[in-house]
Amino acid sequence: MTSLPFLEPLRRSRGFSQLAVLALGFVVLIAISAASIWLVNRAKEDAAQVSHTLRVENMLSLIQIMVRRAESAQRGYLLTGDASYLEFFEDTLAQVPPTLLQARATTADNPERQKALAALEPNVSQKLAELRQTVEMYKSGDVAGALKIVRTDRGEALMREITAQVDAMKDQEERLLAQRTTSSNQTSLWLLLVNLVGVVTIIGLAGLSMHLVQRNTAALRDAHKQVANANQSLERRVLERTADLQEANNEIQSFAYIVSHDLRSPLVNIMGFTSELEALRTDLFDRLAALRAKANDTDVARDEELGRDFEEAFGFIKASITKMDRLIKAILDLSRQGRAEFHPMPVEVAPLVENIGATMAHQLQERDATLKVGRLPPIVSDRMALEQIFTNLIDNAVKYLRADVPGRIEISASETPGYITYLVSDNGRGIDPRDKVRVFELFRRSGPQDRPGEGIGLAHVRTLVRRMGGAIIMDSELGRGTTFKVTLPRRMVQNAEEGKHD
Amino acid sequence: MTEHVTIIMIEDDEGHARLIEKNIRRAGVLNEILPFTDGTSAVNFLFGPDGTAAQNAGRALLVLLDLNLPDMTGVDILKRIKENEHLRLSPVVVLTTTDDKVEIQRCYDLGANVYVTKPVNYENFANAIRQLGLFFSVIQVPKAK
Repeated sequence: MTSLPFLEPLRRSRGFSQLAVLALGFVVLIAISAASIWLVNRAKEDAAQVSHTLRVENMLSLIQIMVRRAESAQRGYLLTGDASYLEFFEDTLAQVPPTLLQARATTADNPERQKALAALEPNVSQKLAELRQTVEMYKSGDVAGALKIVRTDRGEALMREITAQVDAMKDQEERLLAQRTTSSNQTSLWLLLVNLVGVVTIIGLAGLSMHLVQRNTAALRDAHKQVANANQSLERRVLERTADLQEANNEIQSFAYIVSHDLRSPLVNIMGFTSELEALRTDLFDRLAALRAKANDTDVARDEELGRDFEEAFGFIKASITKMDRLIKAILDLSRQGRAEFHPMPVEVAPLVENIGATMAHQLQERDATLKVGRLPPIVSDRMALEQIFTNLIDNAVKYLRADVPGRIEISASETPGYITYLVSDNGRGIDPRDKVRVFELFRRSGPQDRPGEGIGLAHVRTLVRRMGGAIIMDSELGRGTTFKVTLPRRMVQNAEEGKHD
Repeated sequence: MTEHVTIIMIEDDEGHARLIEKNIRRAGVLNEILPFTDGTSAVNFLFGPDGTAAQNAGRALLVLLDLNLPDMTGVDILKRIKENEHLRLSPVVVLTTTDDKVEIQRCYDLGANVYVTKPVNYENFANAIRQLGLFFSVIQVPKAK
C-alpha cells in the first residue's frame, strides 16, 4: 500500500529541533552551575581577603595600643611609684614581641608590609628600651634622671614616628580593604547576574520547548486525522470494491445459472428428436426390408452396413448429449452452491464425520479401507456445507485408494485461536505435484482417468470453503497418499450482502 | 368424463411441445390439446378479454405449464390460475427444465398439482409424459361450481 510520505520528514524535523532545545538547555544549566560555583568560590576568597585585611589592621592597632599602654604604665609608675603600675608595665611589655611576630607572620605574603614592619620594629624596640631605662632608673632611686630622660622628648618623637608608621600601614590596609570589598561586591553582582541570565535563559528554553511540543502535538494530531481519514477512505474503498466484487460474483453466478439452464432446453430437443430419429430409423429399415422383398433384392449386407453406420452416429450423439448434460448439471450445481445461503450454527464435527463414514461403510468395505476419526474441535459454521465438504473429500479419498494396500483414511485437526484446520489424509495413489492447483478446477482431474467422475467434487469443495471464509490446500506424494487441509474460521460470520438473492 | 378435459399446453419451445404431444398420444390420451407458445396468448385464452375467466367457468381444463416463457414467467400464470375462482380447481402440471428445489417448493406453495422436470434423457422424458398421460386418464377434473 502507499504510505503517507509527508509524515516522515515532518516528524524528523520536529524531533530534531526539540532535541536541540533540550541539549541547549542542558548546556546552559551546566554553564550556569559552573559559573556559580566559580563565583561562589571567588566570593569566599574575597571574604577571606577582607577578613585578613581587617585582622592585620587590628594587629597594627593592637601594637600601637600596647606601646601607648606601656607608656601610660611607665608615666603612672614614675608619678606615683605604685608597684601595680610596674606590674602592668611589665605585662604589656611582654606582649609586644609576640604581637609583632604575629603581625609579621600574618603579612608574610605582602613584601611591602614586611618592609614597613621591619622599619617599625626598631622604633618600637627603641621606644620600649627608653621606657625600660627610665623605669629601671626610677627603681634604683634616680628619679631626677628618669624624669630628665622623659623630658628630652625623644620618647615622644619615637612615639609620633611609630604612630605615623602604623597609620601609614593602616591607610594602606584601608585601601586594600576598599579594593577587596569592591571586588567582593563585584563577584556577588556577577553571581546575581549569571543566575539571573541563567534563569531567564532556562525560562526561555522551557517556553521554546513547550511551544515545540505544542506544535509537535498539533502536527501529530493532524497526522492522526489524516491517517484516520485515509483509513476511512480506504475502508470505504474496500467496501465499494467488495460490493463490486460481490455484484460481479452474483452476475457470474446468475450467468452460469441462466446459461446452464437455457442450454438444457435445446438439449432436451436434441435428445428427444434423436430418439425419435432412432425410432424412425427402425421404421425406415422395416419399410426398406419390405420393399426389398417386394423387389426381390437380396443385398442384406448393404442394409446391415447402413444400420451399423446409423448406430455409430446415434451412439456418439447420445454419449455427447449425456456428457453435455452432466457438465451443464455440474455448472448448475456449482452456481447453485454459490447462491445458497449459509446458516452458521455450532456443529460437532466428529459425529458429523462419523455419520458420513457410516453412509459410506459399503464403499469402504469394498475397498478394504478403514476410516479413522481423530479429535475434531467443534466449529460454528454451516452444517450442510461442512457435510458436503467432508463427503466430497472422503469420497475422493476412497475413490483413489490403491488396490494393493489396505486403505487408511484419517480425519484430524489442528487449531489456532481464530481458525481450525481439518486434515483429510489417505494412503491412496496420490496426486502429481504438477496438478496441485489443477485438481481444484472444474472438470479437471488428475492421474489415470479410470474412475467415474466429472472433476467436479473438489471444485465444489473449494467454492464452498472460500465462501465460508476459509481456504483449502493439498499435500500429496505420488504413490504415497494425499492430505487435504481445510482451514475454516472458528466462527463463521454471516455476510449481510450474501444470500440476499434466492 | 375424461374425454371432455381439454389440455392447455403452455410451452414456448415447439420441439418440446411436439415431444410432449407425441408422448401423450402414445400413452393413449386423445383429449384435445390446445398449444400456446407464449404466456400472453395463453392468459388471453384462459382469462378472456375481461380477465375474469368467466367464459371458461364450468370447462374441464388441465394446464401443462412451462416456467420459462419469453414474455412472462410461468409462476405468474400459475399464481393467477390458483387465485381465480373459476380456474383454481383445474389441475396444473408444471413441466420445466428447472430442478431447483426452491423453485419446486414455490410452485407447490402456489398450488401446483404436479411438478415434472424435463430430463435430457429421452427415455425418462417419455416415461414421465406417458405417466402423466395415464394420470390424465384417471384424473377427475371438476366441472364447475
